[in-house]
Amino acid sequence: MLSFLARRCVALVATLLGAALVIFVALEVLPGDPAAVTLGLNAAPEALAALRLEMGLDKPAPVRFLAWISGILTGDLGLSYTYRVPVAQLIGERMAVTLPLALAAIILATSIGVPLGLLAAANHNRPTDAAVMIFAQLGLAVPNFWFGLLLVLLFAIGLGWFPAGGFPGWQAGPAAAVKALLLPAFALALPQAAILARVTRSSMLDTLQEDFVRTARAKGLAEPVTVVRHALRNALIPVVTIMGLQFSVLIAGAIIIENVFALPGLGRLVFQSITQHDLIVVKDLVMLFAGLAILVNFAVELVYGLIDPRLREAS
Amino acid sequence: MTRAGASAPVPAKRWWTGPSFLIGFALTGVIVAGALLSYVWTPYPPTQMMILNRLKPPSATNWFGTDQFGRDVFSMIMVGARNSLAVGLGAVGFGLVLGTTLGLLAAIRRDGFLDNLIMRTADFTHAFPAVLTAIMITAIAGPGMLNAIVAIGILNLPYFARLARGVAIQVWTRDYIQAARAAGLDNVQISVRHVLPNVAGVIVVQATIQFALAILAEAGLSYLGLGTQPPNPSWGRMLNEAQTFMAVQPWLAIFPGAAIAIAVLGFNLLGDGLRDAIDPRLRRSR
Amino acid sequence: MTTRRDLLAGAGAAALAAQLPLVALAQAKDSVIIAMTLEPPTLDPTSGAAQAIREVTLQNIFEGLVKMDRTGKIVPCLAESWEIAPDNVTYSFKLRRGATFHDGTPFSSEQVRFSFERAVAPESTNAQRQLFTPITEITTPDPGTVVIRLKQPTATFLYGLAWGDAVIVAPASAANNKTNPIGTGPFKFVRWNRGDRLEFERFDGYWGEKPTLAKATFRFIADPQAQVAALRAGDVHAQTNLSAPEAVPQLKADPKLKVSFGKTEGEVILAINNAKAPFNDLRVRQAIAHVLDRKTIALGVYGFDVDLIGSHFSPLHPAYIDLTATYPVDIPKAKALLAAAGFPNGFSCTLKLPPPTYARRSGEIIAALLAQIGINASIEPLEFPQWLERVFRGKDFDLSVIAHTEPLDINIYARDDYYFQYKNPEFKALMAKIDVTLDEGQRNEMYRQAQRILARDAVNGFLFILPKITVTAAGLDGMWTDWPLPITPLAEVRWR
Repeated sequence: MLSFLARRCVALVATLLGAALVIFVALEVLPGDPAAVTLGLNAAPEALAALRLEMGLDKPAPVRFLAWISGILTGDLGLSYTYRVPVAQLIGERMAVTLPLALAAIILATSIGVPLGLLAAANHNRPTDAAVMIFAQLGLAVPNFWFGLLLVLLFAIGLGWFPAGGFPGWQAGPAAAVKALLLPAFALALPQAAILARVTRSSMLDTLQEDFVRTARAKGLAEPVTVVRHALRNALIPVVTIMGLQFSVLIAGAIIIENVFALPGLGRLVFQSITQHDLIVVKDLVMLFAGLAILVNFAVELVYGLIDPRLREAS
Repeated sequence: MTRAGASAPVPAKRWWTGPSFLIGFALTGVIVAGALLSYVWTPYPPTQMMILNRLKPPSATNWFGTDQFGRDVFSMIMVGARNSLAVGLGAVGFGLVLGTTLGLLAAIRRDGFLDNLIMRTADFTHAFPAVLTAIMITAIAGPGMLNAIVAIGILNLPYFARLARGVAIQVWTRDYIQAARAAGLDNVQISVRHVLPNVAGVIVVQATIQFALAILAEAGLSYLGLGTQPPNPSWGRMLNEAQTFMAVQPWLAIFPGAAIAIAVLGFNLLGDGLRDAIDPRLRRSR
Repeated sequence: MTTRRDLLAGAGAAALAAQLPLVALAQAKDSVIIAMTLEPPTLDPTSGAAQAIREVTLQNIFEGLVKMDRTGKIVPCLAESWEIAPDNVTYSFKLRRGATFHDGTPFSSEQVRFSFERAVAPESTNAQRQLFTPITEITTPDPGTVVIRLKQPTATFLYGLAWGDAVIVAPASAANNKTNPIGTGPFKFVRWNRGDRLEFERFDGYWGEKPTLAKATFRFIADPQAQVAALRAGDVHAQTNLSAPEAVPQLKADPKLKVSFGKTEGEVILAINNAKAPFNDLRVRQAIAHVLDRKTIALGVYGFDVDLIGSHFSPLHPAYIDLTATYPVDIPKAKALLAAAGFPNGFSCTLKLPPPTYARRSGEIIAALLAQIGINASIEPLEFPQWLERVFRGKDFDLSVIAHTEPLDINIYARDDYYFQYKNPEFKALMAKIDVTLDEGQRNEMYRQAQRILARDAVNGFLFILPKITVTAAGLDGMWTDWPLPITPLAEVRWR
């Protein structure tokens, strides 16, 4: 048991370090001089040299790598090349958009996907089931950014109920902010809802075959009671797992969706930083995203390992 | 995310008459036919600009209307199908060949050094948010179709590696492998002659599903401007450009998106249909 | 200069007086929200080249010795007046008395010296350092006078002092100007919500005419759709330069808004690598010039007419001449020229495009136009950093599309190492002569000659001037509609 934990932890640290190294090397290879981007077409060589010094670009790569890692460990993420403010502050500001967006998407996806899946399972092999499965197929096939565009077309340009894009900031009042986040959250939630509907349905069908449910039925409990009291709880375990594993998909989706709706979130920040060659921000953000995804995977594996001894042996 | 485990096997029915397969076959057929036809015929040359005829709604002359340069959207979508399929083929081919090879190699010595190395790398690749990896790769190597293929291909790798390894490990435990070994075949020869044929079926099904995902990923990258480059028409980039003109010419945003959805839906359904066909055999072979 | 401002202010005051009964309305109307596309990375125009820094700070927060008015004329600012000695290298500036910085520091000649010396210091990150390199000596005989000596007569020296890179900053606050800018301008910095908005308020200690606006907010809206929506909903009162030209008809139809089309100093060119074969052959460049149908390109990019150019010069300048007819669209002639140069079947080359929409769209159309004469230009889109590295610095390109937005920058053609690598001793001599010619009439004649040389040599494909599409609420006056410098002086903005 302990050796399992220890092994997994070593693997986790190795993975995180590996990720950091890959990101660092990748950005070293990226062509373009951040100082030149800041100073533009007519910059004098002296000015460029001065700025490179100021940005710490004059030191050798291994030194900068170690400085970066120790910075992350001590919570100092460095100074953005473009904005000249601490990256931590920048990430904090943008988090105020991405976090609510991702949460809203998860809530929407769950509240659409899970009930649909249950509905389908309860009506197995009936038209309702088929309808849900068709919805799920469509939800997986429609690119979420196109769905976002369609939402804009209908609700923003057509009906004028929502803004077509942009974010007024939370200081404009929660109503305006929520209004700006609702369409993107829906766009982000669609494929997740489809996946959750499918997983919930199949998991529920599996559970309904299990002995304890049959026993409950044999005891003469009414069908809805059986479903809710006994089957649901067990059926939701894989659903929760999938939600965890879909986390990185959600992040990836947010990058595109934030661009569709021009939301000043983390996804747009990472994209803009690459464009503006703000490599410190890119490094920190990619590490943040990758680190989060790796941690979530780790947690899921850990929980599974604790529940199921067989997996402990297998891996 | 496997299909409902409870759905009863339908051995009596022929698999190619299942609704999933039929609809999937029809939808992919439309896309593939459009792509092939575009080599010999499109209503207009897809890159021909008629600036004075810009932003026209669908009509008898331009079935899907024209874009901001006066190009025929229908022709562009036909040629765009070519690009989507090419990226799908390239990316899935890349992931399939490399991933399956690695998976088979890993399976030879279960929990050995190679196995651990390959599987940890696969986990690691898998952990990176897909779009982020692709953005990084195209940022370094420059945007373009080939780089998009490589980026998406790399994302495909772990799926095939894991799947191939999983099935291969079971195959290695069988008696006839021992027999083969006794006959003097080495590990690689056994992998190629005896393990690979058993893995192939599952891999083909997975490839169909990955194909759908690859088309989706290419569309996303192109939408961000990182995929196929002009003047080659690409569905994702058409959507990006359409966004600017959405208030004036909404049609521009409808057709390319619908094309993506049809292609993805088609390959997904096709994959489901094939899985229904292969699943029983798999069960038997277990 | 004062007369013009006084007139404007007088008109504004009269308008306000007429509205006195509507006190509530008048009170609500002393603030404005102006949208712009790009957010400045910092707020210090003396370090960093981003246009957006100047757009928000110049003539609002920061001021220079002189400033440019909306017609492109240089007028007094922190310098009340100046004299140029007969030697043409000694400039004596008489400084404005009573001007103070927002933190209360009084303005004096010391800060002028500090600012200019800081700009050329080794650790300076001033993007236009060359503005100050002609200076040999700065003396401050008294707090109200600055005397600057130059190495040699430099005709454009005063002109450069109106730029954002030459604003006057104070020693105590200069280091923090990136995030907390302190200048002498009519507005002072209040707050900056990154990614969203920047807030200024009227500086009550301002030396000049007090602005009518008490509060001004810049909002940063990059997305074209969102710009249109914000304008129509009244969330913002103006957009300095609309990036959704396709929305123009829609906005024009809205009675609450007014749309004006103006000129800028941004010459959009098809940059040609003059040092690289086959583009080093004049006939090849002429052939390209003969297929560049500017009208079609501009229409495809914008959907409406913009100012077309035939040389590297903005129509905003009095010396501008129209040279668009030098090489009229003529496909057979272009083919003949190409054949004469040894390419009867054309050739293949690359067209490297930076990210702005005008560049990407122009590039796509140009590739299609060039295909008519067999030139197969394959498009390579680049992010801006890569463009700077490969095209601008590395000179590793065949063709590219870019706007040169610096005012009066025709002298870049006199630099041998500039990225399009045009080398013409005649042109260089002419530019050197302009630099030391202080008579404006003579100088303008030489500028005209320079334009003709560039057009004749078909150095680059000269396409069009970046338009400025200003959208304002119907009652808002005073926004700059042309951009001799891309700035938005808030002191001139007022509600009717």
